[in-house]
Amino acid sequence: MTGALFNRTGGAFVLAGLVAFFTNVTARADQLVTDLSKHQISIRSNFTGTEILIFGAIEAADPTNFATERDVIVVVSGPSLPVTVRRKNNVAGLWINTEAVTFERVPTFYAIASTRPLTRVASEETRTVEGLGLDQLSLGSATARGALGSDDNVTAAERQAFTEALIRNKQADGLFRTEPAGVAFLGRSLFRATVGIPATVPNGLYTAKVYLLSDGKVSDVASAPLYVVKSGMERAIYSFAHDKPLLYGLFAVVFATFAGWAATLVFKD
Amino acid sequence: MFQIYLPIAEMPVNILLILGMGASVGFLSGMFGVGGGFLMTPLLIFTGIPPAVAVATQANQTIASSISGVVAHWRRSAVDFKMGTMLLIGGALGSFVGVYIFSVMKALGQIDLVISLSYVIFLGIIGSLMLNESVRALIAQRRGNSASSSNQRHHSWIHGLPFKMRFRRSKLYISAIPPIAIGFFVGILVAVMGVGGGFIMVPAMIYLLRMPTNVVIGTSLFQIIFVTALVTVLHSVENQTVDVVLATLLLLGGVVGAQFGAKVGQKMRGEQLRALLGLLVVGVALQLGLGLVLQPDDLYSLTLEITQ
Repeated sequence: MTGALFNRTGGAFVLAGLVAFFTNVTARADQLVTDLSKHQISIRSNFTGTEILIFGAIEAADPTNFATERDVIVVVSGPSLPVTVRRKNNVAGLWINTEAVTFERVPTFYAIASTRPLTRVASEETRTVEGLGLDQLSLGSATARGALGSDDNVTAAERQAFTEALIRNKQADGLFRTEPAGVAFLGRSLFRATVGIPATVPNGLYTAKVYLLSDGKVSDVASAPLYVVKSGMERAIYSFAHDKPLLYGLFAVVFATFAGWAATLVFKD
Repeated sequence: MFQIYLPIAEMPVNILLILGMGASVGFLSGMFGVGGGFLMTPLLIFTGIPPAVAVATQANQTIASSISGVVAHWRRSAVDFKMGTMLLIGGALGSFVGVYIFSVMKALGQIDLVISLSYVIFLGIIGSLMLNESVRALIAQRRGNSASSSNQRHHSWIHGLPFKMRFRRSKLYISAIPPIAIGFFVGILVAVMGVGGGFIMVPAMIYLLRMPTNVVIGTSLFQIIFVTALVTVLHSVENQTVDVVLATLLLLGGVVGAQFGAKVGQKMRGEQLRALLGLLVVGVALQLGLGLVLQPDDLYSLTLEITQ
């Protein structure tokens, strides 16, 4: 039943829900109904970043019980790709990349918003299990790379230092975000969160996940896909450059040749 | 408002900023008669364009500016096509080597260092030489001495090399090896630095090959067109880093700026122009050199490993 809104399959589904409702009244946990303001972000030539609104309602198992403390956490994450983190050292007076560590799976984008700071919403155990928060991200295996590309194991201390650097740099680029008060309750059951998407956001299939916590325990999770795609001219040029690189290069040369020749005609004395 | 998203660099830039940069560099290149790539590539990198995209796109833009430049020289028949072809043979081989070096260094995470070091070394040397020579000439003029041109055609080791050819327009009978070698070396620099290479090619043609000054610029532009065209194609195939939208903006600003620059340049004296250009070149080298020597704010940097 969780996250039913994302699977509108019609009457049969509703009926099944009603049956479940009447048969499980006592055992039922708090539930979520959520949606996104848009399911696709199109990158066109005028794209300078955008925002998505994630909203929903909590269907409390026991609406008369005001003692339960409810929190909502919203996570928007992009596709995971390998990322190499490099560290500079002073070599003969010059700052040069020396050590490097490659992380196998780094989310290209990760934004987490919550009703209260994460440490107060859930215990460390819960956060680790659900992977909630920048400090709980699973980045896959870490491989050290020597100056000449040899692979090595990474010590725990090095992994720690490189992980911190990775998070710090991603935050500086606006691709890792935390909003400790980013989810706002409107009354007792409605909530909304706005997540900013920067202009440099990579393409791909994203996931928007909403966690409902009742007294610090995850009682429901709903998730929805979000597509970030180049479209129009941006898509045409990008696909051309990557699918037919030779033709693209020749086109770039012909275009520049024509432009240079046209300039001599325009400015002819 | 004036933002445009670049499809290959994958970031938005301000149209007016890029047009302005194109126009300013175009103005200087028109004034000094140089390609301007050595200014534009570092400027693009300072703007936040990834170095690999800046270098490849600048090579593409240089085709347009060199073509609009070579037409005027061609009309005055100030292009030595035979010499240009020899330089080009070397240049083509050099650009293959250069793009290969570029790919390997990019994979090793050292491409930024290689680009910066190349700029610091070559701009530093050329800029200092230019500054030194022009300041001496200015001082000599102020003292009233006539500038002593020691441009005699004395024989050097270059004249002892085999495969001699006659270059009619340059009035030279020399071995084909030095032009090919110079072209090869400059071809590597075009691929690695995203410059036309005129700032090395022109002095090499005057001082090493001893070509007459009137055919030097036209011939250098002629061969730069083909080498930058080849580099554009090679970078497109090897690295997919040529951004045609960025190149279009740069050349729009560039051609307009160059026209005004050329008018101002005609009103100035040669020594003054060379002294100013020397200052500019040394300035760029110092700026990039500081970036290598000063401790960066964050010692760590990230690279997305693109798996295709």
